[in-house]
Amino acid sequence: MFDRVEAFYRPESVPEVLRLLQRSKGQARMVAGGTDLVVEGDRSVRFLIDLTRAGLTYIRSRDTTCVIGATTTLADLEESTAIHALAGGLLSRAAAACGSVQNRNLATLGGNLAHGSPAADMATPLLALDASVVVADGEGRHKMPLAEYFGRAWQNGASHALLIEVRVPMPPQNGRCGWSFQKFGRTEVDLSLVNAAAGLQLDARGRVKWARLALGAVAAAPFRALPVESLMAGREFDHSLLAEAGEEVMREVQPIADLRASEEFRRELSRVVAGRALEECAARAGCSL
Amino acid sequence: MKTMSLCVTVNGESKQWTIAPGDLLLDVLRREGYFGVKRGCEKGECGACTVLVHGKPVNSCLIFAAQVEGGEILTIEGLAQGDTLDPLQEAFLDHGAVQCGFCTPGMILAAKALLDRQPHPTEEQVREALAGNYCRCTGYRKPVEAVLAAAARRKVPTEVAR
Ligand SMILES: Cc1cc2nc3c(=O)[nH]c(=O)nc-3n(C[C@H](O)[C@H](O)[C@H](O)COP(=O)(O)OP(=O)(O)OC[C@H]3O[C@@H](n4cnc5c(N)ncnc54)[C@H](O)[C@@H]3O)c2cc1C
Ligand code: FES
Ligand code: FES
Repeated sequence: MFDRVEAFYRPESVPEVLRLLQRSKGQARMVAGGTDLVVEGDRSVRFLIDLTRAGLTYIRSRDTTCVIGATTTLADLEESTAIHALAGGLLSRAAAACGSVQNRNLATLGGNLAHGSPAADMATPLLALDASVVVADGEGRHKMPLAEYFGRAWQNGASHALLIEVRVPMPPQNGRCGWSFQKFGRTEVDLSLVNAAAGLQLDARGRVKWARLALGAVAAAPFRALPVESLMAGREFDHSLLAEAGEEVMREVQPIADLRASEEFRRELSRVVAGRALEECAARAGCSL
Repeated sequence: MKTMSLCVTVNGESKQWTIAPGDLLLDVLRREGYFGVKRGCEKGECGACTVLVHGKPVNSCLIFAAQVEGGEILTIEGLAQGDTLDPLQEAFLDHGAVQCGFCTPGMILAAKALLDRQPHPTEEQVREALAGNYCRCTGYRKPVEAVLAAAARRKVPTEVAR
C-alpha cells in the first residue's frame, strides 16, 4: 500500500495535468498503467495523478505519420489494425512480447518509455522506426527525436515532463523491406536480457539499400547501432556480412551483470539476437539465407 | 488518514466504498470480503490477484483502486449463477485442474476473458492467455485441458442451433 498518498487526481485534460504537476512542486507522481510505478516500490509519494482519463489514448494514422497517444495500452497496440499495417506489424509484435495479458491490459506505451528502463521493449522498435515524442511542461510542448528523449533530455528532467504522444513516420512502402523485433529473456514473460529491432531494404540484386538496428537492455539506454547500419549499407546480404555485423554489435554494447546474466553472456547474446533480427528482416524482404 | 469515496460495480452490484487515495484494488477488494482475489507476489508476476475490469483481465495488485472509479469489476465470486457453476468452473473440477486452488480464481477469470473474445481458441491461444497465471501444483496441463473442454462444451449449443 502507498500510505503516504494524500490525494489521487484524475484530470480529464492535458492542461489540467500540467496544472496539477506545477501545483504539486515535484511531490506528485504520474501514473498510467502502474505496472512499473507500483512494482518499483517508492512508497514516499504524496500525490498521484492518473493520466488514463486525460484524453491521451488514441492511435491516429495519417499519410506520413502514425501518432500514438501516451496512455494507449500495449494491448491496444497488439490489436490495432493501423499498428498491424505499420512496418509489417513491428510494434504489435513488440507489444505482444511485454509480459502477460494482465500486464499488457494495464501497461501503456508512455509508461514504457517514461520509466527509463534500458530494457523497455517498445523502445527499440520505435528507435528503429525513427520515432519522435512530444512532451509538455509548464513552458509548452516540445517535439524531439526519441533518441534525444532517452539521452540528454531524460537526464535533464524530461522524465518529469508529461509525455503526450509518440509520432512514427511511415516507413517506405516500396521495394523489398522487412522489419523484425527479437527479444531474449529467461522466460516468455520475463524482462529482456537483450532486445533488438531491425529494418532492412534490399535492392533487386539482394544488396542492402539501408539497414536500421536498435538494441536494448545492453547499455544505459536503448540505442541505435549506427556503425552497424553504415557497415551494412550497399553490401550483399550474406553470412559473412551478418558475421561482421555481429562483431560490430559486440563492440558497441556495454552490458551490465546482474542476477539474470553475466556481462559476457549478454554481450554474446547481443550478437545472436541482433543477427536473428537482421536475418528475419531479410527473410521478410524475400531473401532467406 | 485522508480518504475518498469509490463507486464501482462489482459482480453486477453497485458499491460505494471509502478508500485511502493510495489503496491498491487488491487491498480494497479483500477488505470488502472478496477473498477469491488472492494475494500472491504483489508484483504483477503470478496472476493470483486477477480480476476482470470491463471484461479485461488485470492484476489487481498493480492498479490503484481510485483508477477504476465508475468501472465494472468481475471477481470469481460473481461467476456462478446461484448454485449453477460456470462451464469453466465445471470443467476445472472435472479435469482435476484444481489442486490447492490458490491459482484457480485467477486462471478461470483469465480463461473467461479469452473465451468471451475467442470462443474457440487453439491450445496455443489458451496457453498464451494463461501465461500470466502461475500454478505450483498442476503442471498447467490440466488447466489448459479444462479451458479447451469448456470451450468445446460451449460450442455444442451453437452447432445444434445451426
Ligand atoms: C510482471 C511484469 C512484466 C513486465 N514485462 C515487461 C516486458 O516484457 N517488457 C517491457 O518493456 N516491460 C515490461 N514490464 C514493465 C512495464 O509493464 C512496462 O514498462 C509498461 O509499459 C509501463 O507502463 P505503465 O503505464 O504501467 O507505467 P506506470 O507504472 O504507470 O509509469 C511508469 C513511470 O512512467 C511515468 N509515466 C507514465 N506515463 C507517463 C507519461 N505519459 N508522461 C510522463 N511520465 C509518465 C510514471 O510517473 C512512472 O514513473 C513488466 C512489468 C511487470 C510488472
Ligand atoms: S499478487 Fe498480483 S500478480 Fe501476483
Ligand atoms: S492448484 Fe495450487 S497453485 Fe494452482
